[in-house]
Amino acid sequence: MSLAPQTSTESSVNQTRGPIRQWFYNIYYTTVTVYKGMSITMRALMKTLGMRKIAKGYDYGAGPITISYPDVKDAIPLISRNRLFNHVEGCIACNQCAVICPVECIDISSRKKTADEDLDAKTPPEFGSKPLKLKLLKFSIDEALCCFCGLCTEVCPTECLVHTPEFEYSKFDRDKLYYDYLNFDDDNPLPKA
Amino acid sequence: MSTENQVTYKDDHFQTQDMTINMGPQHPSTHGVLRLEIVSDGEVIKATYPDIGYLHRCFEKHSENREYLQVLPFADRMDYLGAMNMELGFCLAVEKLLAAEIPVRAQGIRVIVAELNRIASHLLALGTYALDLGGFTPFLYAFRDREKILRMFEEICGARLLYNYVRPGGVARDLSPGVIDQIKDFCKYFVPQLQEIDELLTGNNIFVHRTANVGIIPLDKAISYGFSGPNLRGSGIAWDLRRAAPYSGYEKYEFDICYGKAEMGTVGDCWNRYFVRVKEMFESIKIIEQAVAQLADDGHMGRVAKSVKPTGEIYMDTECPRGALGYHIVADGSKKPYRVKAKSPSFISISSMDEMCSGMMLADVVALLGSIDIVLGEVDR
Repeated sequence: MSLAPQTSTESSVNQTRGPIRQWFYNIYYTTVTVYKGMSITMRALMKTLGMRKIAKGYDYGAGPITISYPDVKDAIPLISRNRLFNHVEGCIACNQCAVICPVECIDISSRKKTADEDLDAKTPPEFGSKPLKLKLLKFSIDEALCCFCGLCTEVCPTECLVHTPEFEYSKFDRDKLYYDYLNFDDDNPLPKA
Repeated sequence: MSTENQVTYKDDHFQTQDMTINMGPQHPSTHGVLRLEIVSDGEVIKATYPDIGYLHRCFEKHSENREYLQVLPFADRMDYLGAMNMELGFCLAVEKLLAAEIPVRAQGIRVIVAELNRIASHLLALGTYALDLGGFTPFLYAFRDREKILRMFEEICGARLLYNYVRPGGVARDLSPGVIDQIKDFCKYFVPQLQEIDELLTGNNIFVHRTANVGIIPLDKAISYGFSGPNLRGSGIAWDLRRAAPYSGYEKYEFDICYGKAEMGTVGDCWNRYFVRVKEMFESIKIIEQAVAQLADDGHMGRVAKSVKPTGEIYMDTECPRGALGYHIVADGSKKPYRVKAKSPSFISISSMDEMCSGMMLADVVALLGSIDIVLGEVDR
């Protein structure tokens, strides 16, 4: 198959005829080109209905394209960057995500541990078993501001801050998109990862 | 009351008044929030004043307060239909300042994603252009194929429109073998589909009569305005930055530069600008096929620090879907750029509206506006 547009250069636009001939030619040519377009549409329709055999090269793409969304859900790639979630048990309060965020939507505060607290605590093994030297007091993200650039999840040393493929968390109130992950309370919670 | 505004009979004909028509910013065929103030005499346009600024988001000022890595999400949001190309230009400028060496594989991946993004952008331009002029089917076909590209991007980098994928030093993550197979499949699948869209629309007599010989911008005018990209090539010159000043390894790939040859209409009219985009998509497929075949194996990220501190001043322009978009960066050796200025091709296209429109019929403004393919995010920055 040649990699070139297969357009016929014949048209009624650049030609000079007598006015009567031009008038009839316009009608003729418009009918021909509209028929050409409609035949393509019909071909696609027949393929969709299964009445026409799908030619080679068309094999992926024929058939219905749209899905009826709330009933049927499309599979979203796992690396898709949607809603942010922080697994606070793995957070070491290093503040790197808050620093790199271009829109400054992450808010962290922490303090040094006192003597009566567990100084040798470590993050769970799925978050890298890093020493927890600081006590996390607050980890909140205003997801109404988030621009989904993914920079915060890349710098996270324990990979506890993640973009999940979950995208259905719209709210009627913008304040409800302000999430405090230490006492995470949402009417639309995440499934356990 | 002045006598000028009164309708008087003079030399046996009516004196008419000019009418000012407001088009946009909510008009569907201004492709964003553009307001056009059109002064018309009956149906003939006398003057057009584009009113921009509805989508101004202070990209350039924001960049002065962000690190180089943090500027990339803002660069994405300039031309949200060709975000990969926006990032690529910015990263190339920063890398040139750092004199960084980029792995060959990263360059190949950049070319692949940039060309895929160019196809997606041209498909949208083509589909909405047909929609503006009354053809509904090409719009659906174009969006069907664009959707496949966006899904591949989601697999590659996790986002559909605003990628944040190209970074100073390389790209954020490697192409997986599965995605490479998908891209190969897409190239095979897309060529017959595009030929179908082309057959559907390009020769259609109604479409040709709406676009051919409409909104002509001759070559000398186009050059003096500073046109670039498909709009310049539609005026009949084979000028492409990918060939004229190759970046990211474009010199390795064989492709033709498509320019308006007036198969129909006149060189520089709406039809020729449209057809340049159609032909360019075939060339992009050629480039992608070569780039996939030539992918090296030396890693996707070069030795560039996360927070870079370049020094100096640079202007780097790349061939984006809408033309040559240039970044002028002044770096003072700190983590943040001192000044970032983006030269936008859409801004130049829209600045010529007045001249292109005058003498035109009112209904043709839609045809002209669609054919210069502007993105308002890039005009206002």
